[in-house]
Amino acid sequence: MTKHLILAALFAAPLTLAAQERYATRTGHISFHSDTPMEKIEAHNHKSTSVLDASTGAVEFAVLMKGFEFDKALMQEHFNENYVESDKFPKAGFKGKFNGLTADDLKKAGTKEVTAEGEMSMHGVTKPVTIKGTFTMEPTGAVKASSTFTIKPEDYNITIPGMVRDNIAKEITIKVQMDYVKM
Amino acid sequence: MRRAFLIIVVLVAVGAGWYGWTEYNRTAEDTADLDAAETLDPAALLQAFTADENAANARFNGKVLEVHGEVRAVNAPENGLVDVVLETGDPLAGVVCQFAQADLPNNVVAGAPVRIKGLCTGLLMDVVLQRCALVE
Repeated sequence: MTKHLILAALFAAPLTLAAQERYATRTGHISFHSDTPMEKIEAHNHKSTSVLDASTGAVEFAVLMKGFEFDKALMQEHFNENYVESDKFPKAGFKGKFNGLTADDLKKAGTKEVTAEGEMSMHGVTKPVTIKGTFTMEPTGAVKASSTFTIKPEDYNITIPGMVRDNIAKEITIKVQMDYVKM
Repeated sequence: MRRAFLIIVVLVAVGAGWYGWTEYNRTAEDTADLDAAETLDPAALLQAFTADENAANARFNGKVLEVHGEVRAVNAPENGLVDVVLETGDPLAGVVCQFAQADLPNNVVAGAPVRIKGLCTGLLMDVVLQRCALVE
């Protein structure tokens, strides 16, 4: 029920000015990359969601951990079962605010560097983070946001067994690409 | 005797190496070849998640589900993937089935009845099924 109320608030609100400044995507691409001399690992998820209220800069991202797809099934199984424990913690997310982003910025073609401050939640751990990103506004009106940043697995209580410690980077690179649609 | 023992050791080592190599390089199975854990309609699947998400996660996540229903929309392909959204009766949420673009026949259009198998990954704005395949 709560979920429906949130969705209703997001998508079915009256056409107020604020509602007209809302952007969302259901097909965001989030990938992570680990590159060591021993092994290169990457996984992709094309079903992350994000809602951006351009009138305030407030933004939320969510991603289903079981939705990350690896080239190798064994890696995907280890990721879900041993590292992120996706049965126990099925989602990861970010909730925060873009500093310095205005609704007008999204209406003009060009690019804008932004910083998002907020909290990232994963594996049952929530931590404050600051992430740099870029908005690209295309002449067609399309609004795209991208970011590349790193996280340390231990910051989210993700334990890497000693046997494979050298196979997994100390810092995992996360890439985010969102193609927003105006609501 | 010693020679036979050495041959056995070598065979076991080769077998273990072969198993390890094939297991390490194993790719995800084709969903079309997997048996569905449950068959249900999209509205019931969405209802299960919205009624009790934790229970639905435990029941469905990571499992292959077969859903029978009507296509609400087929979204434009992105990155070689196409989303087929199934009608749930709820305009705010659907069941989204993600296909590799090459796996989706042209006759899957809005309004068409379909049977789809896919791996359930959970609920965001919609219930998400990935690596989907049409059931003939």
